[in-house]
Amino acid sequence: MMRRIVAVVLLGEPALTDPFGAVAAAAELAGSGRAEAILLARPEDAEAAAAQAAREGAAEITLVTDSGLSDPPQPEHWLELLAGLLAEDARGMLLLLPGGAVGEELAARLTMRLDAVPLGRCGRIVEDGARLIAHRAAYGGRAELVLETGAPRCIATMRRPAAPPKPAADPVIRRADLAIPFAADAPRPEVLPAAADRPKRVDAARIVVSGGRGMGGPEGFALLRELADMLGAATGASLPAVDAGWASVSQQVGQSGAFVAPDLYLAVGMSGTPQHLAGIAPHSRIAAINSDPEADIFRVAEVGLLAPWQEVLPRLIATLRDG
Amino acid sequence: MQVVVLLAGVVDPKWRLDRLGLRPGTELADESGLPRRLSPFDEAALETALKLRDADPAVRVTAVLPGDVGSDALLRGVAAFRPDRAFRFDTSGLAPWDPRAAVRLLGLAVGAACGCPDLVLMGREFGDCDDGVLPAALAEAQGWRFCGLAHAVAIADGRFVAHRIRGPREELLRLPPPALVSITNDRGNRLRHPLMKNVMLAKRGPVEVVTPQAGAIPRAVVARSLAVVPPPQRGAGACRILSGPVDAQVAELAAYLRARRQAAAP
Ligand SMILES: Cc1cc2nc3c(=O)[nH]c(=O)nc-3n(C[C@H](O)[C@H](O)[C@H](O)COP(=O)(O)OP(=O)(O)OC[C@H]3O[C@@H](n4cnc5c(N)ncnc54)[C@H](O)[C@@H]3O)c2cc1C
Ligand SMILES: Nc1ncnc2c1ncn2[C@@H]1O[C@H](COP(=O)(O)O)[C@@H](O)[C@H]1O
Repeated sequence: MMRRIVAVVLLGEPALTDPFGAVAAAAELAGSGRAEAILLARPEDAEAAAAQAAREGAAEITLVTDSGLSDPPQPEHWLELLAGLLAEDARGMLLLLPGGAVGEELAARLTMRLDAVPLGRCGRIVEDGARLIAHRAAYGGRAELVLETGAPRCIATMRRPAAPPKPAADPVIRRADLAIPFAADAPRPEVLPAAADRPKRVDAARIVVSGGRGMGGPEGFALLRELADMLGAATGASLPAVDAGWASVSQQVGQSGAFVAPDLYLAVGMSGTPQHLAGIAPHSRIAAINSDPEADIFRVAEVGLLAPWQEVLPRLIATLRDG
Repeated sequence: MQVVVLLAGVVDPKWRLDRLGLRPGTELADESGLPRRLSPFDEAALETALKLRDADPAVRVTAVLPGDVGSDALLRGVAAFRPDRAFRFDTSGLAPWDPRAAVRLLGLAVGAACGCPDLVLMGREFGDCDDGVLPAALAEAQGWRFCGLAHAVAIADGRFVAHRIRGPREELLRLPPPALVSITNDRGNRLRHPLMKNVMLAKRGPVEVVTPQAGAIPRAVVARSLAVVPPPQRGAGACRILSGPVDAQVAELAAYLRARRQAAAP
């Protein structure tokens, strides 16, 4: 018996920029006609989402609505819904959640509720009969770990694959309207009012201007922000730049930060470590400004300017301002 | 108030990884010759624990480092920060690949630190082979409240107030004990420097080792292989390094950026 390959779509989750990415990944993994999608949504959002899931390759779609979902929904509520929906289902399955903080937390917690095996953030999963072979990055993206399991229930997170999905022609659509009691004592976050100077969201931007340890201080970052504004870009940062306080944690790009997929990533004063590059989509173009000709960032960039940023950024801003 | 901080350690990311693999005939990673250090997230979790104790002397901090004898130097480094107790939880010979087994082991490690912790702190990723599964799964397995990716934690009215940024929102989560919070790096939780005096004391002092009474832990996941991989290829391969006077280079980069801005415009 082949296991079910099921992707989860969390509609209305504000932290997700590609809510259907896992559906495309499931469709690629399962081959045509076999991928399933479970869509969790408030009733008013459901129908359009079913059509989208079919375009992403889901052949069987379960539309689960719960009018008790708040706007935005609480992660605890997603967890209760999924656990309630899947707990009684004894079939073998591989459940795929979307990449990013929310999907990863849900995947990990759900495994304990469903007595499943967590496979983590997988780059590739292959079926070998009833077994699964999962490929994952380890040691900061410098090594690959290949795991094997025969566990009937496995949960992983996957991002959208490079190849565009093949739409499902005639999807089977089921509907379930649930009212899962959401524990009243579950802690609800208090949402802080957004600061006026809150940085533009880096994971949704078409251009990202990013700074690293080589910026040396907040002055350089002020120039990066000025440049970003001129380009309609968001400002990103490496981990050391965040540790130094030149940028906020929300701007950290990398293995342990935001995953960005811009058209252009301008990397200034950063060396191009695997931990950082893991947060930049493979298709994004990279341009780099760095004073070290040996910097690894030049191995992955399309265009490089070899000079200290102090000599480049003020002139670049002036040139762009002039036309 | 009992605060347990679980520390993982990583192979120093500045060290070149030329060779890494499973020891022949086993599922154990061969990291011999590779220096270990705390990961930025271990450091952030440790600093968060120390800050809680600074703010409230009733907080007792126990630092636990799961690992084999190769982690003892790291443990001495942790002891130099003067947690109330620091020990290595011996995991010699145990392969870390099965997350459920790892969660069992981490539960035992916390149990060895204290019977009922009020707060368990971990980095957002626990070591070189975890991508964030372990903190969330451990909380769920133990029935503790969970907050992932916090960058600051305080205690107010007997609750832990965790501060985090999730997607576009900045949130405060108030968790009653027992709770587990995973910590991400931030300027506010950069690890302090230990006093030289304490570094020397820790170097000379004994290392406490606790050996788990685990019995056989069932495993469902095995490692087939572990290997160093080259960085993925990107772009066309060859980088065009601009040349000529700086002004000409800047003009060329500006033209390139204008073209990309045009292309990215909606
Ligand atoms: C578990 C773990 C997770 C991690 N996760 C992440 C992550 O998610 N994201 C991340 O970014 N890092 C992460 N790191 C950290 C990572 O290992 C590197 O330390 C980090 O990416 C380096 O950042 P950087 O390129 O800014 O700094 P460096 O590597 O120090 O590079 C600075 C660069 O600036 C250049 N420079 C210096 N002066 C100038 C100047 N005047 N003008 C122009 N260039 C100049 C230098 O030539 C150098 O190339 C992680 C590490 C660990 C252990
Ligand atoms: N390779 C690294 N990876 C991640 N963080 C680092 C690294 N090196 C240094 N740091 C962080 O930067 C701070 C200063 O480190 P350093 O400049 O190496 O003395 C440390 O507290 C770490 O948090």
